[in-house]
Amino acid sequence: MVKLLLTPENQLQRLNHLLHAVETLKEKDTTTLNHRPNENAWNVLEVLEHLSIAYAMYDKKIETALNQLHTSNEEPWAFRPRFWNRFVIEGQRPKGNKRPFKMKTLKKFEPQLEKELTPAAVENVFENFQKSYSKLKASILVSRNKEMNHKRITSAIGPIVKFHLPEAFEFLICHAERHKIQIDEILSSHKG
Amino acid sequence: MDTAQHTILKNLFKGISLSDAEEKSFIELWKACCFKQNELITEAGRMEKYFYVVLEGVQAIYLINQKGEKVVLGFSYVGSPSGVFDSFLYQKPADTFLEALRPSRMLAISRDDYLNLFDNHPSFHTWAHGFFKEILFGRLSREVELLTLSAEERYIAFMQRCPDELKGIPQKYLASYLNMTPETFSRLRRSILY
Repeated sequence: MVKLLLTPENQLQRLNHLLHAVETLKEKDTTTLNHRPNENAWNVLEVLEHLSIAYAMYDKKIETALNQLHTSNEEPWAFRPRFWNRFVIEGQRPKGNKRPFKMKTLKKFEPQLEKELTPAAVENVFENFQKSYSKLKASILVSRNKEMNHKRITSAIGPIVKFHLPEAFEFLICHAERHKIQIDEILSSHKG
Repeated sequence: MDTAQHTILKNLFKGISLSDAEEKSFIELWKACCFKQNELITEAGRMEKYFYVVLEGVQAIYLINQKGEKVVLGFSYVGSPSGVFDSFLYQKPADTFLEALRPSRMLAISRDDYLNLFDNHPSFHTWAHGFFKEILFGRLSREVELLTLSAEERYIAFMQRCPDELKGIPQKYLASYLNMTPETFSRLRRSILY
């Protein structure tokens, strides 16, 4: 496995692309956004809600870890994850336009939305997403001026995976990129 | 705007003749901005909102390659223009970052105000011709250096023309700009006189 180098700039660039892509989804009509490829599959809004739930599991942990770090005047951090965490992150990272493998979502990450959403509820889903991932972006920007020596934070999967902050950022972005591909698949199934 | 700032602006826009009243409104279009060391002025994936003129500090423009490393494309420093011009002009998300390598003060003009200058004063077209010509030939000459010179020759050519303020920035930015490893750059710095 390639020794992955994580940098805040790379993460910011990818987050900006994600935020921009979700912003353009707002232009889709409600029928498109409520469309499911099959009756058990998620629609676009449920995918976005799932991403907001996933972020919420890390929100306070990231904030607490950042607050404990000392300010640095040195170059922003660059971080190479060790084997196990690299393996966990790579499991999320899309390979080209493909998700590496599908996985069953744990109950606690499942979106609890009505089957068909009103325009106001749709707006709320977008707002949650934008708020969550803009906060993630703000945390990455703050982290550029911090010394990256801190206790690892327990991942949402449980104590089997503990992340350094750069790894937690990377995991969340790869996870969102993976679901962005799912959104593209849902949208193309609607056209077809 | 103080006299020093006014002089920097006038030097960049040399050849433009404006009446006193026009010059006053031209100056009012520029707002002063400050950036801390390491602060991102423009992020890749976002739109460039301003055309900048540097009053103080050094900035690097770079992109992130597939390995996640920074590849430095250029620098701006006192008196030079700065910004991500393609994003600014075409209003597309930037492919590059612009970062303050040293605490920086800059003057910024918005896109609307910049474009209005061309509508209101035809002499800005002549200025732009010269300005972009200089950038183009500068980039061409850099391309020739990268493709034809050895690492040692690239190092000497760059060090002979680069302003002193650039020599004090972290070596890895200079090394990346010259397409060499920081180790090679460091070795050349120790062993070569220019």
